Amino acid sequence: MAIAAHHRPGLIEGHDHIHAEPQGIVAKYIFSLDAKVIGVQYMIAGLLFFVISGMLAEIIRIQLLTPGGAIISADTYNAVYSLHGSGMVWMTIIPLVTGGFGNYVMPLQIGARDVAFPWLNLLAFWMFPIAGVILFSSFLVGAPDAGWTEYPPISLQGPPGTSLWCVAIFLIGISSTLTGINFLVTIFKMRAPGMTYTRMPLFCWAQLATAMLNMVATTALAGALLALFLERQFNVPFYDPGRGGSPLLWQHMFWFYSHPAVYIMILPAFGIVSEIFPTFARKPIFGYKMIAFSSIAIALLGFMVWAHHMFTSGMAPWLQLPFMILTMVIAVPTGIKIFSWMATLWGGKIEFHPAMLFAIGFLITFTFGGITGVFLAAVPTDLHEHGTYFVVAHIHYVLFGGSMFGIFAGLYYWWPKISGRMMNYRLGVVHFWLTFLSFNVTFLPMHWLGLEGMPRRVAEYRPEFQFWNDVASIGSFVLAASTLILFYNMAQSLIRGKKAPGNPWHARTLEWTISSPPPYYNFKTIPAVLKNPYDFGEPLPYFGLDPQEDEEGDGSTFAPAPHAETAERH
Amino acid sequence: MAQYTAPRKQNLGPGFWQVAIGLTVFNAISSYFIWTLDIDKYLPEAAAPAGDIDELFRFLSVIGNAILVYVIGFIVYFSVVWRRRPSDGPDAIGIQIHDNPKLELWWTIIPSILMIAIAIYSVKIWANLQNTLGDVLTMESVGHQFNYEFRYPNLKKSVYDDMHLPVGTPVTLHVTSADVIHSFWVPEVRIKADMVPGLVQTLRFTPQKTGVYRIICTEFCGVSHGNMVAKMTIDSQQDFSRWISQQQKLQGQGGGPIALASGHADAGQALFGQKCSTCHSVGPFTQKIVGPGLGHLFDDPDHPSLVTGEKPSPEDIAHVLVNGYQGPDNSQGKAGPSIGVMPNRQANALSNTDIANLVSYLVSLSQKK
Repeated sequence: MAIAAHHRPGLIEGHDHIHAEPQGIVAKYIFSLDAKVIGVQYMIAGLLFFVISGMLAEIIRIQLLTPGGAIISADTYNAVYSLHGSGMVWMTIIPLVTGGFGNYVMPLQIGARDVAFPWLNLLAFWMFPIAGVILFSSFLVGAPDAGWTEYPPISLQGPPGTSLWCVAIFLIGISSTLTGINFLVTIFKMRAPGMTYTRMPLFCWAQLATAMLNMVATTALAGALLALFLERQFNVPFYDPGRGGSPLLWQHMFWFYSHPAVYIMILPAFGIVSEIFPTFARKPIFGYKMIAFSSIAIALLGFMVWAHHMFTSGMAPWLQLPFMILTMVIAVPTGIKIFSWMATLWGGKIEFHPAMLFAIGFLITFTFGGITGVFLAAVPTDLHEHGTYFVVAHIHYVLFGGSMFGIFAGLYYWWPKISGRMMNYRLGVVHFWLTFLSFNVTFLPMHWLGLEGMPRRVAEYRPEFQFWNDVASIGSFVLAASTLILFYNMAQSLIRGKKAPGNPWHARTLEWTISSPPPYYNFKTIPAVLKNPYDFGEPLPYFGLDPQEDEEGDGSTFAPAPHAETAERH
Repeated sequence: MAQYTAPRKQNLGPGFWQVAIGLTVFNAISSYFIWTLDIDKYLPEAAAPAGDIDELFRFLSVIGNAILVYVIGFIVYFSVVWRRRPSDGPDAIGIQIHDNPKLELWWTIIPSILMIAIAIYSVKIWANLQNTLGDVLTMESVGHQFNYEFRYPNLKKSVYDDMHLPVGTPVTLHVTSADVIHSFWVPEVRIKADMVPGLVQTLRFTPQKTGVYRIICTEFCGVSHGNMVAKMTIDSQQDFSRWISQQQKLQGQGGGPIALASGHADAGQALFGQKCSTCHSVGPFTQKIVGPGLGHLFDDPDHPSLVTGEKPSPEDIAHVLVNGYQGPDNSQGKAGPSIGVMPNRQANALSNTDIANLVSYLVSLSQKK
């Protein structure tokens, strides 16, 4: 069912066509090649692992209600926090922001019918739930207990499950790398005609930077994991100092991945809020180019700062300085983004939709996490803070207050597009306020717990720390309950939610020009793109949109482009 | 859809400057309190670099506080002033501006300047740390699952989980580990170093406040990681000397006189075989292995008189065994015998009895002739 090429200026003749619709449940929903379906699969699996990892977090907080440790032995506790960290980082945030939102939204936003390599996409996805099952099944044989960082030599002595951990993280790493390659090629080669890089939605810019990181950094992790696995199972001495190995080798390899991984987790969240701010402030995003380029700058700088995790680990003192200073340099492009988002709020007609609330909440908590990051980047203060609850507080401000808030915002924003149903607005607002407040109650006190001398990864602590630990625990219980509101909202929306129009927010990126949910082929005709999508008040900058998609009937969705003739040039 | 009309030149919005001034005043007040905060009151600054590190901490807090005050302040203010009002039509849009190169330049330059200031301040404090005095008391700590071993220069045996330091004495502490990675952190000193097997790291600090503090492991090291805590006591100089001599007495060494007469030559011979024969033969002085031959200490004229300048006595031999000896290195063709370095009793782990036995053995060797 090929579409005549003259409708799509710029496309290679005969190259673009709509495939026949897949038939049967398996081809449609389980082993689908459609990036949208794969994206939803990522989201379902990711949210499932989010629930499991979140329950592990609650076990941690119950344990820390009393100084002596309330419920479980230190052994079990160590396994619980190790899998909480691993599960949240590798099985929740990374798959949700790249595989989930990336697969669903990015091809739609660049006007593509799918990603460049659908089979690779399918392969990458199925590695993920398998990896997740392997990771959590390590509980059956003795779960890893040395934290999500698994530093040797202690991880060499760890329970058998530590090897399963290696396998699981190796698999999810390969999956990330494949997704990175896939997205990179998709963004490079499959943008709609006329969509130059400076007309690309900012979410796609963020996915581009993330894909670069995923492709390059994750290979270092794969090498480190393979070596750890070989040493554990076959006694090859990579990390054992007694036999000529180096424990610091692991730390360098691990952080060479895991620092960029911080940006793998946060850049897509930057992208998500960059879509939400203009939509709900009814304004062009302020400083489009600076936001786009700063994503790339952050990605590149992200490769040069890994040893700031290792200031106390043992390195030549002079070497601390370049890592410290480069880390501080990252604050500048990050600051540019934050100020640009603030300037987008200025002069807007701000609608406090739950997505917007989470985006604003993200802005506040992420800024806070960024500032404590500078405290950890400065070598002298890091010598005090490293390895304490201050670090725990910091990572939760950037990963929960940053990435997870971004994921929540994205869920509220794209839910109608994905499900075809509206979520309950009020419940969303309640979810935001409960989450925002209880998040701060949970993690803010951890800063001073750490500064006053509470180390991380301990199953028991000194009695004088009990008060703030209890506050944090109570906060975390509310936080968990507030997340249930989100799940309830999703469930009730699926069952009895109002049908969603194609463009409920009057947003302007391409995914909103088609029906909700989109047809499997995305666009009947691939539109030509004339401008970047953020000029509210102007007609949509697309040429050749299919008129049938205008569900609201007010003509706004497919108003003729102002300079239709320019489309011919592309 | 409402016809879009270009907005008139806008001012910054109602109350912008009032809010900016309000935030500035709030920032000034809160900065003052942060800068003058006496952290020592909440967590004592018990040793020398703590004050420096707290100074940097306060500096970072002042800047971080300023950023937070303006960012959160303006976000809340913008959200209130620029909210969508019920009177706004469904097509109401915000002010259509895309960028402002001048503003963007400023918000690149100002954070850059702040970061340069932070970097300079951090490097300055970092340099202070590198130049912190040490070396008056040089000692070692070894991490084990799950305790801290401390090695003092004038104690033969290690002390566990109980570190004593004299106030006002610059300390150099070499840390390493015997098994997995541990960490040495004293919150009241504000510094830490990981104890990595196969790697020696150095901490330098000068205790300033007497008291009892905690040494905490911050690198996960196994099931009892949470209990890996040791005591660091900063003593007055007198208390420290008293503690050292108490330890020496407990360890049965150094304090009491060596009863040379009670030595047994046979026991000495066995011990010589274990501890000395790697470096020393029992031949004449010139029969060297690493050190000279010791078979004719009392009657070989080649033996130099190391201790008193007189012919050696059993007491002199004991003295060398206790204290070790550093002789001239004349191996490169200089005149005189080459003796090299003899380690002291701590290095050789010799008890009083061991020394008495060795001396009797060496005396008996000379008498055989």
